[in-house]
Amino acid sequence: MSSVNELAAASVALAITLDLNEIQATVLRPRPAPYFGTHALLRVDDAQAGRAFLRRLIPHVDSAAAWWTAKTPWLAVGISYAGLQSLGVPQDSLQSFPEAFREGMAARARKLGDVNLNDPKNWDQAYRKGQVHIGLSAFSDSEEDRRRIVGIAREQLQGFSGVSVLAMQDFGAQPGDRNSLGYKDGIDQPSIEGSGVDPLPGQGEPIKAGEFILGYPGESGFPLPMPQPDILGRNGTYVGFRKYQSRVGAFNRFLRAHGSTEAEQELLAAKLVGRWRSGAPLTLAPDIDDPALGADPQRNNDFNYSHDPRGRQAPFGCHIRRMNPRDTKLTRLTDVKLHRLIRRGTTYGPPYDPNAVSEADDEVPRGAYFLFISAKAMATIEFLQQEWINDGNFIGIGDERDPIIGLHDEAATFTIPKDPVRRLVRGIETFNVLRGGEYFFMPSLSALKWLGDLEN
Amino acid sequence: MASQTQTVSAPDHDITFEKIQQLRELFADAPEVGRKALENVLGELKSQAGDTPPPPIESAGRVGARLGKRSELTIIVPLIPGGAKRLRTFLQLLGGNLSPGATKVGTLHDMRFVFLDNDTKLLFATSFDGDWDTYIDDFVALIPDYLDIIDSAWEGWPGIRSPEAKDYLVKHQITAEGWFVAHPDLTVAEIDRLKRIGKAVDEFLDKVQ
Repeated sequence: MSSVNELAAASVALAITLDLNEIQATVLRPRPAPYFGTHALLRVDDAQAGRAFLRRLIPHVDSAAAWWTAKTPWLAVGISYAGLQSLGVPQDSLQSFPEAFREGMAARARKLGDVNLNDPKNWDQAYRKGQVHIGLSAFSDSEEDRRRIVGIAREQLQGFSGVSVLAMQDFGAQPGDRNSLGYKDGIDQPSIEGSGVDPLPGQGEPIKAGEFILGYPGESGFPLPMPQPDILGRNGTYVGFRKYQSRVGAFNRFLRAHGSTEAEQELLAAKLVGRWRSGAPLTLAPDIDDPALGADPQRNNDFNYSHDPRGRQAPFGCHIRRMNPRDTKLTRLTDVKLHRLIRRGTTYGPPYDPNAVSEADDEVPRGAYFLFISAKAMATIEFLQQEWINDGNFIGIGDERDPIIGLHDEAATFTIPKDPVRRLVRGIETFNVLRGGEYFFMPSLSALKWLGDLEN
Repeated sequence: MASQTQTVSAPDHDITFEKIQQLRELFADAPEVGRKALENVLGELKSQAGDTPPPPIESAGRVGARLGKRSELTIIVPLIPGGAKRLRTFLQLLGGNLSPGATKVGTLHDMRFVFLDNDTKLLFATSFDGDWDTYIDDFVALIPDYLDIIDSAWEGWPGIRSPEAKDYLVKHQITAEGWFVAHPDLTVAEIDRLKRIGKAVDEFLDKVQ
């Protein structure tokens, strides 16, 4: 049963206040289970050709209408700032986009902490500054449908010399819906007010739609500033697109160096994330894995940290406690509802191999492309990178960083709170290396049409 | 964060020499006591030339200085008529120290409010961890009333929720030329943690005796 069906089963019709026919499907619709898909990065060298391509593509781009049903396949389209320029968007409109978006992800490297190993100078060629103009993603629940929709997208590209493909990458579910480090992922998503579906247990209070989609009131009661004209901005959102390469060899070497039995290694792997690889949260299954719990969307996210204030179950520094601290007492005045992202993780490359331990295994192309979606995605990603991923101060653990997606130096440690004394694990490395990224604007369907019909 | 601490190379001798020359010229018509003091200090600095130089002051974004994990912010803003009186009385209600609101923020090391020019202007100076705007949305969501009581006394303030708020602050902000921080590597949270550890160590030592 796909997670989409489960969502539908769990849903109670709530008042829908969002214009679902306008919002792109990917904003609200989770990936199917299992999932298959393709990301394509395009470059537009001729504005007229780019706009004609958009016009041909629009009928195949899905809206979020009835997003909770398992309708697949679908296409999603995002446009970078360089892309908006190349399509001939007027100057006053370009200037109405936020500064970080205009600069692009590579230029924001310092703000994002994308330095050293993660420095844009080490990124794949396609992601060098200003290259990527359009990001196209196809999602499907079968390989056959994936091929069909990619074929349709390709057809729309036929005959345009002014639009070229910079890179294409298939992605897809690993056995058991695992990611490239062997974990079930994508479990915890924010619940969005007015989207028509009740929150799953543990998903928390619905968050105001304006935090995720432009044109609606946000948590402050007011809509966020929106690109102009209105038709371009409304019902659109932003996507932070990031490509990670998993260093599976380094990860396995680390687990083996710090756990002498398989059980110890699995517990350490669970402590790093806050969930067992099955998806079962440590907070509900602190000592041994519970795969049935991990597989159950009604239960696998239904917890807070009120009974684990000292991190004895889920360490303060583990990945999921950082990315959503829930009711954890933080050292800084923080409204945790303001720093959430809709995450669409898409795993690529061969499945996780527990026996891969060589340095050559670190270079096998496998990892994940993430789509981080929010009406203020640039600000939120910068906040997360600075505060919750590459620092530990917010949660009272000094300089420690996120063990899974943090950028680490040689002295990196991971603290596992324990009685009578904590265990300090050394030898944490950068297990997921950034290989590229860009900010995209994900326009509404009317905005896509507006872009396609631009004249000049 | 370790990556933020930078080491500086030895100061360029020509630049230092030039600066010393310039200082001597500026002090040439200074009072005798100042001239003498300068020579004494220059002599002292020369004898310390081999020591490790202090960490450099960096820029904290558009305006303001940053030292390690700390940033400073100094602004002088015009006040609306009656603003100083309201603000002063409010500060007095809180014993002058803005606790507990300020403690809740968790990143503030200190703040000072000084009224200038017959209560027509406010000098506000603070030092805090990180960048000032990282948590601005959180402040607006969680302590809006404290912010509004203070900034409603400011002339021309667009409101903390306005996209122009940043520009207003930048316009009135003056970057410190000199700024000493004893522990630029310690955040408020780190200091709290070290205090807790110190206390725990004392308790442990008492028990083992």
